[in-house]
Formats: sequence, structure tokens, C-alpha cells
Amino acid sequence: MSIELTHPGCELLSGQPMVIKNVKNYFHIHTYGGLSPFFVGLREGRLLGTRCGNASCEEQRIFLPPRTHCPDCLSPSVWVEAPTVGEIYTHTEILYPGAGFKLTTPCPLISVSLEGVCTKMMSYLKEGQPRIGMKIKAVFNTEHPTHTILDLAWVPA
Amino acid sequence: MIKLGHGNLRIPKFEKPVYMVAAGQTDFRKKYPEKTTEELCVEAFSMAALENDLKVSLSELKRMINFCVYSQFADHFGDQLLGASKIHDALGFDPLGNIEVKTGGATGGHSVLAGALAVASGYANCVPVVGWERMDEVPTRQGNAYIASAACKNFESELGWMYTAYYALMAQRYQYEHKVPRETLAKIAVKNHGYAVSSPFSQNPMRITVEDVLENNLVSDPLSFLECCVMSTGAAVLILADEETAYTITDQPIRLTAICSGTHTLRTADRRPMEVLRLPHEPEDLYKNYQHDWPGFSSFLAARMAAYLAYHMAGIKNPVEDLDILETHDAFTISDIQTYEDIGLRPYGRGREFIDSGEGYYGGKLPANLSGGLIGSMHAVGATGIFQINEIFWQLQQKWAKFHADPKMWERYGKTKPADFENLQVKNARRGAAISHAGTGSHVTMAILEKV
Ligand SMILES: [Zn+2]
Repeated sequence: MSIELTHPGCELLSGQPMVIKNVKNYFHIHTYGGLSPFFVGLREGRLLGTRCGNASCEEQRIFLPPRTHCPDCLSPSVWVEAPTVGEIYTHTEILYPGAGFKLTTPCPLISVSLEGVCTKMMSYLKEGQPRIGMKIKAVFNTEHPTHTILDLAWVPA
Repeated sequence: MIKLGHGNLRIPKFEKPVYMVAAGQTDFRKKYPEKTTEELCVEAFSMAALENDLKVSLSELKRMINFCVYSQFADHFGDQLLGASKIHDALGFDPLGNIEVKTGGATGGHSVLAGALAVASGYANCVPVVGWERMDEVPTRQGNAYIASAACKNFESELGWMYTAYYALMAQRYQYEHKVPRETLAKIAVKNHGYAVSSPFSQNPMRITVEDVLENNLVSDPLSFLECCVMSTGAAVLILADEETAYTITDQPIRLTAICSGTHTLRTADRRPMEVLRLPHEPEDLYKNYQHDWPGFSSFLAARMAAYLAYHMAGIKNPVEDLDILETHDAFTISDIQTYEDIGLRPYGRGREFIDSGEGYYGGKLPANLSGGLIGSMHAVGATGIFQINEIFWQLQQKWAKFHADPKMWERYGKTKPADFENLQVKNARRGAAISHAGTGSHVTMAILEKV
């Protein structure tokens, strides 16, 4: 006798070798944990970075992306406002993104250089053609936030 | 800023010398539905055991093994957690102890490092290192998204889901700082696709010109499709042993004189400028007037650290003079130029000279990626670092032709040996190096192998 299953089964793509399609449809719950103030900030139109909370640490510049702890002395960080005007350190244009990309192509991807910030965060240019050294300012997606890093972008200053 | 202390720069050493005795691999394909991952690994191990002129039979070799290392980049791709357990079982190694190593694109290199540590310490005396990746279960776009899950999920992955874009950021900055012409980058793609023509293992052999590369569609400006590594399915195996065991197994062991690891932040963004770490052959004042941030976006501290330790460990005074053959992790043309500088083939800013001078070609002083590399031959990630060392191993044993020139090797993979096949055996090659590299330079190993 044949086994009868109510499940529709897998689609057969090839008989020999036998190849089937195994469909996945699931989600992950992701926490921003101690980095949450940064993402809450984006929703409010604020760019928050962190600084080492230890006054005797050699690294007193701002980290952006923020860090919950200073990588040099492991002291807890304090949240500070980062400059929202800076310049393009480098750029590219994404023409073929990977699956799950939510912006439109071509997408100008940039790395941002900010005064007093020791890192150069990755972001994208919402308007204009990027070039190295171009002055830019931060813009935020406060109306319908995605709650991701895409809620921050830059435009020519 | 990163300040390296004395302890941080201590040169690694093996308590006992480590030898490589055998190499095996499958061919590499975009899609490989004919074989399960276990079959691919059995095939690679069998080649290592049966086709390297060993003095012991396959079963004798198996009975000599006392520890195993497995190398797979991403469980996502194979859609099988604990896949190593199935491979271990398929190879009939139960109940021997094993570990699986994971360091992104550098997983192969770090797996060999783990195997070497076991042998060098006396923990084990014969260790197979088995690597694979099955990247053909998902469409290429999804594969790229999986790879981009190895970028920071909070601050980077959403910005492209594509590693090529992250390398393109480095390429633009490198070109701005060092004015490397697009033609030089294109030459690397031409070279490696071209060498792949003479390898029966390769996935993407091509005879192309610089113009073809320059006119090719861009993935992410300035990198074109022809300048990016392939996505492959396949496996590679190598076997390490201590001295006594090595000479029981083969008359031609190759010594692994060094394998060293370096790291840097996963996010390129987080790389704070620091003083250049100088290699043994670089004079003290070489970078006195260096005008750019180091490592910035143009250099890989992880590669520099690995090279610094490996050169000291293996007694390399000048890489171009002392090495005869090289395999780099040419995931993208730009990262190859960057790596030439990090490993000291040229000072920072002058990496292009390694290609423009012809030194990096067959017949040059230090031919690089004669295997076809990641651009021309394969990037089945967990197998890659092992494949590179295998190719160096056969070169140092003067057996390259046995594995590449025999028409039967080509037939084995359903191919015909091409009419324009070139013999790429480097005459009198004594010493070779291989670079295994992850992320945008998050982990790098450098292995140095030497003819005994
Ligand atoms: Zn601190």
C-alpha cells in the first residue's frame, strides 16, 4: 500500500540525479540590545555615536558605528551626538545587489568621514553623484522607519 | 588605535616540524547535482590517499590517522548543521576526534593551521584536513546574500547584501590614493582566467583580453563580473604528519615551515589608522613619508600581520627573492593588488608593479595563482585555502603535470584537454606561499611550504 500524506511534498526538479526544491519561509527575531539608542535615534532624526566612558583611555574619539564597550579598555561607552555633516571617504555604485536588497539600483554606496569620529561608517547617498571629498549631510527616515541602518542616508551639503 | 605589544608580536613556533604528505581534490563546478557533499569529500580524500605515490595503502593510511580537521565556511549553504559529522562518517573516521573550523573565506587556511597545531604539538601525528562548500543549492543572488551575512548585520549587510560592493569601496579609495589604472586590475583577471585554462579542476577558464574586462558589465563600480571570484561546489583534502610518520607515508614530504594568522575588524569602517607594521625586508624609513591612513581602506592589517609572523617563522628575508611560487586569495582584482603590498612584494602604493613588471606571471620571479585562483578556478569557500596549498604542494613535488597535463585527468571530469594547454610546472620551485583570506580582511593566514 502507498503512504498517503496531506502535505503537498517537494517539487521534483530532476529525476536522475534526483533533485528537489526545499522551500523555506521563516523569520529571525533580532535585537539591537545595547546598540538600541542608535536605532531609536535614527527614528528621531538624531545621529548618535559612542565615546569611551573612561577619561584616562587613549581613545577619546567617537565611534560610529557605535560600540557598547570601548575596544581598547573595555569600559562601557557613553552616547554622544555625532556630527551630521562630513565628507565622502570612498564610494561605489551597486548595480547587482544580493537577494533581500531593499533600496533601488543603481545605488551609490558611500563610506563617511566625520570630524572627531575615528571610524568611517558605511551608508548611501540619497541624492547626487558621489565623489571622494564631497561634503554631505545626514538625512533620516523618520516618517515610515524601517528600523534598520537604511533609515540613515546622506545628501550633498 | 591598535598598539602592538611585545607579546602580541611573538613569533610562533612549532615544537615539532610539520610535513604535508598528500593532496587531493575534486573539480569545481557552479552546480554539482551529480554528487552529494559526502561523495565529493570521499573523492578528494581518495585522490590524496591513492594518487600521491604513497608508500602505504589507503587502509593503512586511515589506520595511521589520529585526529581530523574539517573546513566549511557556511552551514547556510549546505543547509546542514554538523555536516562535518556526516563527512567524518562517510570517510570512516569514527570514533577519532575531530574539530570543524570556521573563519569565513579563510576557513581553509585556518583549518590547515589547526591541523598543523595538532601535529606540531605532538597531540596527533597524522591529520587530514578536509574542506568543502556546496554553494549550488541557492540562486547566485541568494548566495551573495548568504555571503553578505558575513558582514555586520546591524550596520552593513542591508547596504547591498553583496561583498563585491564592500570591495568596490576599497577599490575606489585605493585608486584615489595610488592611481592604479583599471588596466592593471584587468590584467589580473586576464591572467587568472587564462591560467585556469590549463587546469582540469577549474570552473571558469577563459582566454580574454584587458579590453574584454574593461567592457564587461560592472557588478559594483569599478569591479566587473570578470574581476570577481566564482561561486563553486567541490572539495579539497590535504594530509599533515610529523617527521617520522611523513617518511613512513611518502619519500617526498613537503615541509610546512610556517602557517600564521592575522585578523582585523569585520567592518572595514572600524579600522583606525596605526603605524605600518614593517616586514623583515622593509627599511625603517620606508613609510616615513607615507601620506595615507594605514591600513585605511587600501590595505589589510590581517594580511600584514600573517605575513610578518610567517616570514619571521620561516626565515623569509625577502619574499620575491626567497619564494618561487605564490597562491593569493584573488577574490577580487583589487584585493589581489592590496595583498601584494601587505605581503611585501612591493611597498604600499606600488603593488601594481608586481603585475606590470611581469614578475607575477609564469616565467617571472614569483608566479602567482597558476592554479587559476578564485577568479579562474574555484571558490568553494571551505575548500579554497586547502586547494591553494595542494597546488603549491604538487608544484614543489614537481608533480604539477601529473595532476594537470594527463588527458585522463580531464576526461575524469567530462572535459577535453584544451589545445592551448600550457605546462605551468615551475622548474626547481623550492618554496611556496599561500594566502587564505576572509571578509574584507577579517582573517588571513599565510602558509609557507618548502621542499625538503
Ligand atoms: Zn577606552
